[in-house]
Amino acid sequence: MAALMQGSSLAATPWAPFDPAVDGAWNERRVRHLLRRAAFGGSDELVAELVAAGPAAAVDRLITGADDAADRRAASEQLARTVLANNAPKRLSAWWTYELITTPHPLRERMTLFWHGHFATGGDKVTDAEALYRQNRLFRDEALGDFRRLTHAVAQDPAMLIYLDSVTNRKAHPNENFARELMELFVLGEGNYTEADVQQLARCFTGWEVKQGRFRFNRYQHDGGEKSIMGKTDAFPDAEAVDWVIDQPSAPFFIVGKLYRLLVADEPQPSRELLAPLAQQLVDAEWRIEPVVRTMLASKQLLGDSAIGRKVRSPVDLAVGLLRSLDGITSSTALADDLLGMGMGLFFPPNVKGWDGGRTWISSATLLARANSLGRLIDHESTRFNSVSPSEYLSQWTDDPVRLVTELEQRLLAVTLPAATREKLIALGRGIDQPERRGRVVLQAMMSGPLAQLA
Amino acid sequence: MNNRQRLLQRRLFLQQGAVAGTALALGSRLPGILTQAAAAARSRADDGDRILIVVQLSGGNDGLNTVVPHRNELYQAARPTLRIASADVLGINDDFGFHPACRALADLLEQDSLAIVQGVGYEQPNRSHFESMDIWHTCRRKEERGSDGWLGRAFDRHAETAGNDPPGLFLGANKLPAALVARDTQVPSINSPEQFKFQGADAQLVADALQEGSTAGEAMTAEEDELAAFLSESTAAAVEASGKIAAALEQSDGGSSYPDTPLATKLRTIARLIESGFQTRVYYVEIDGFDTHAQQADAHRALLEQWSGAVAALTQDLARMGRLDDTLVLSFSEFGRRVAENASEGTDHGAAAPVFLTGGRVAGGIHGDLPSLENLDDGDLRYHTDFRRVYATVLGQWLGWNPTPILGQSFEPLNVLRG
Repeated sequence: MAALMQGSSLAATPWAPFDPAVDGAWNERRVRHLLRRAAFGGSDELVAELVAAGPAAAVDRLITGADDAADRRAASEQLARTVLANNAPKRLSAWWTYELITTPHPLRERMTLFWHGHFATGGDKVTDAEALYRQNRLFRDEALGDFRRLTHAVAQDPAMLIYLDSVTNRKAHPNENFARELMELFVLGEGNYTEADVQQLARCFTGWEVKQGRFRFNRYQHDGGEKSIMGKTDAFPDAEAVDWVIDQPSAPFFIVGKLYRLLVADEPQPSRELLAPLAQQLVDAEWRIEPVVRTMLASKQLLGDSAIGRKVRSPVDLAVGLLRSLDGITSSTALADDLLGMGMGLFFPPNVKGWDGGRTWISSATLLARANSLGRLIDHESTRFNSVSPSEYLSQWTDDPVRLVTELEQRLLAVTLPAATREKLIALGRGIDQPERRGRVVLQAMMSGPLAQLA
Repeated sequence: MNNRQRLLQRRLFLQQGAVAGTALALGSRLPGILTQAAAAARSRADDGDRILIVVQLSGGNDGLNTVVPHRNELYQAARPTLRIASADVLGINDDFGFHPACRALADLLEQDSLAIVQGVGYEQPNRSHFESMDIWHTCRRKEERGSDGWLGRAFDRHAETAGNDPPGLFLGANKLPAALVARDTQVPSINSPEQFKFQGADAQLVADALQEGSTAGEAMTAEEDELAAFLSESTAAAVEASGKIAAALEQSDGGSSYPDTPLATKLRTIARLIESGFQTRVYYVEIDGFDTHAQQADAHRALLEQWSGAVAALTQDLARMGRLDDTLVLSFSEFGRRVAENASEGTDHGAAAPVFLTGGRVAGGIHGDLPSLENLDDGDLRYHTDFRRVYATVLGQWLGWNPTPILGQSFEPLNVLRG
C-alpha cells in the first residue's frame, strides 16, 4: 500500500519511470548514457546486456552490482594491507583508483566517491591512513544505505574529527567547526540556520573527542545544559542534536539537490518543485538513499534526451570512464597521481566542501592536465584495453580513420561531434603513418577535446 | 609608442637576444648601472602598465595575531595561550607589533612599501568560509544572482588593456577563484610552468587538433549549448595561453632568489612573466591553511613566514627589474578570527581583519584604528571599512578602471596609495 502511494506520487512528475514506448528508443546510446551517469561507463558486453534487459531491469542490475571475483578481491585487499602497513595516505589513492577501475559494483563506487566529496576529509591533514581507510569503508557500506545512520557515524568518525580540528572539545570554549559544517555542508546548506544555532549546536558536541585513534565521549567535558537550536530547547543528550538537524525541512531538499547534480545535470539549479517528489520519497523511505537513486536513474528526467551531455565529466569520470568503456586496466599508481593533477586527488579533496564539480572542474590548467594525463594513460606500458595493448586493441579500426573515429565516438562520447571536428580527427589519423601510433593519438586528441568533457 | 608597440619591440629585442645566444642569459647579471637605466626607462609607466597581484590567505587569517595589539589587556585576556608578548613582536608603533614570523614584512614597512588597512569587512558578516569568500569574490550576497567576480567584471569591461595576453591569470591547481570569473573573458589558470604545456611525443599534434577543433568545428554545437560553449572557449583559451606562457617564460630566468615555498614559487613565475613583457594586468594566487581551529601557534607561524617571505622576495625582484612602482600586491582573507581563543588552543571563525597592500607606491603604515576589543559583534571584531572601499581604490586609483559599475555602487576610496 505504502509502495503504491509512493509510486503514484511520482507518477505525474518528471521522475516517473522512463517508458520506451512513449519517451524514446531504449538503445545503445541511451544505455551508454545511463552507464556514464551511474557506473563510469561500461563494456560493449554490458551495454548489449542492458539494452536487452530494458530500463527497469538495467537499473536493477546497476543497483545490485555484479559478483566480486575472489581473485580481484584478494588483490584489492592485499593492496590495501600494504598501504596501511606503510601508513601512506598518498598510496591509498592508488588503492581506491584500483577499486574504481575494477569494481564489479560501479554504482556503489560512484556513491562512495560522492560521500567522500560530501563528507570531505583530506589526507594532507589526516595523516593516519588507517583512519581514512575506515572512513572510506563506512562510505562504501552506506553508499546506497541510510543517510541518518551515515551522518551519525561521520559525527563520531575519527578521520572527520581530526580533519575538523575537533579531537578535543571542551565545555568552557566549544569548538564550532564540526557544528558549523554539519549544518552548512553535510545536512542543511548555508542559509538554513543562524550563527546562534552554530554556537548552540557546538555545545552539544563538547566532550566528543578522539583518543588513540578512537572516538570517545568525555562526560566531564560535555555541556549537558539546555540549548536552543532551530526552534527547539532541550538538553539534546547523546546524539539527538544530529537527529534534530536531519529533521529540519530543508535537509531532504539539500541532499536530493546534491544527488541531482551528481546524477542528472550540473546546471541550471533544479527548482524546488522538481526536487519535491524526491525529497518526499527520501523522507518516506526514512532516509534510505537507494530508493531515491533508483527513482532518479530510471526516470524520464534522467534517461530522456534532454539530460544527455548535461554534465562536465569529473577527472575520475574521464579516465575511469575511458577504461571501463573499453574494458581497460592501467597502473593505478600512475592514474592516481594524474587524478590529483587533474584536480581530483582521491583522499585529497581541496577542502571540507569537497569538489564543487560542474564548470569548476575546468580551467586551462586542468584541461592541459586532462590532455597530458590521457596521453600518459594510453601510452602506459601496463594499460590494456580488452586484455591487449591499446595499439593492438585499436588496430581493429586503424586501417580506416573514418571508422576509427566513429567507433571511438560511439563508445566514449556523450554528444555527437560536429562534422568539422570529425574531419579534423580523421585528418589527424590520416596524417600519421604508423598505424600503431595512429589509434592512440586520435584517441588522445578526441578525449582531450571540449565535447569529450561532457557526460 | 603605445603599449602594444612597446611590447612587441621588447619581445623582438628579447628574441634577438635569444638568437644571439648570450645577451639574454646575461640580462639579469648586467652591471648595476645598466639595469638601473633600463629600470628607469620602464618605470615611467602609465596606468595601462600597472599590475595587481592578489594574494588570497584562505581559511581566515588571524588578524589579531598578525598585527598584534600586544599591550591591549583585552587582547591578552582573550588569548591566554595564543597571545604574543610585547617582548616578541616586531614593533610597528607603540600599540602594535608584527608577529615575529613577519620579519620580511616588517622590513617592507620600514621601507614604506607596506600599507596595513585595519578593520576591513562587511555588514552582517557571514562566518562560513565559502559564503564569506564568495562575498569577497563577487561583492554579492548569496540571495543575489550572478556568478561573476569583481575582477571578472572588470575584465569584461577592460579586456583590451592587456593586449593579446589574458587580462587575468590564476596560478594554482584549485578551481578558478570566483573573483576572476567573467562572463565574456576566459581567465586561464596555470599550476606550474612545467605542467602548463602539452607533453609527450605527440604534444604538437594533439595541441593542433584541439586548437582547430575548439575554435572552428564546435562553434555550431556551442551556439545552442552553454556548457559546450564554455568548454570550447576554455579549451581554446588553454591552448593559446599554454603557447604564450611557454614562450614568455623562455625570456626570463627569474633573477632574484626566492624562498623554496609553494607561494614564493608562484610569485616567482609571476615575476618572470612580468619581466618577459607579458601584459596581463591581474595575477591571483592562494595560500591555504589559515583555518586554525586547533593548535594554532605553530601552523600560523609557518603560514605567516611563508606569506611574508614570499611577498618580500617578490618585492625585491620587482625592484631589481624596475617594476616595483607599477606593481601592487593585495593580501586579504575571507574573515579574521574570534577574539577569544577556543579550548583547542585555536580560534574559530571571526569577522573584520586587516588587509595588506605592498608595492612601490603605497602610503606605508597602518591605516585606520583597530576595531574595539570591547564592543564586539558576537565575539568578533566589528568592521569599520567596507572591503569594497579597498577594491574601489585598487580599481580606480591603481588600475584606472571606473569602480562604480564593477562594484555596483560607489565607494569612497582609501588614502593608501601615493601618486
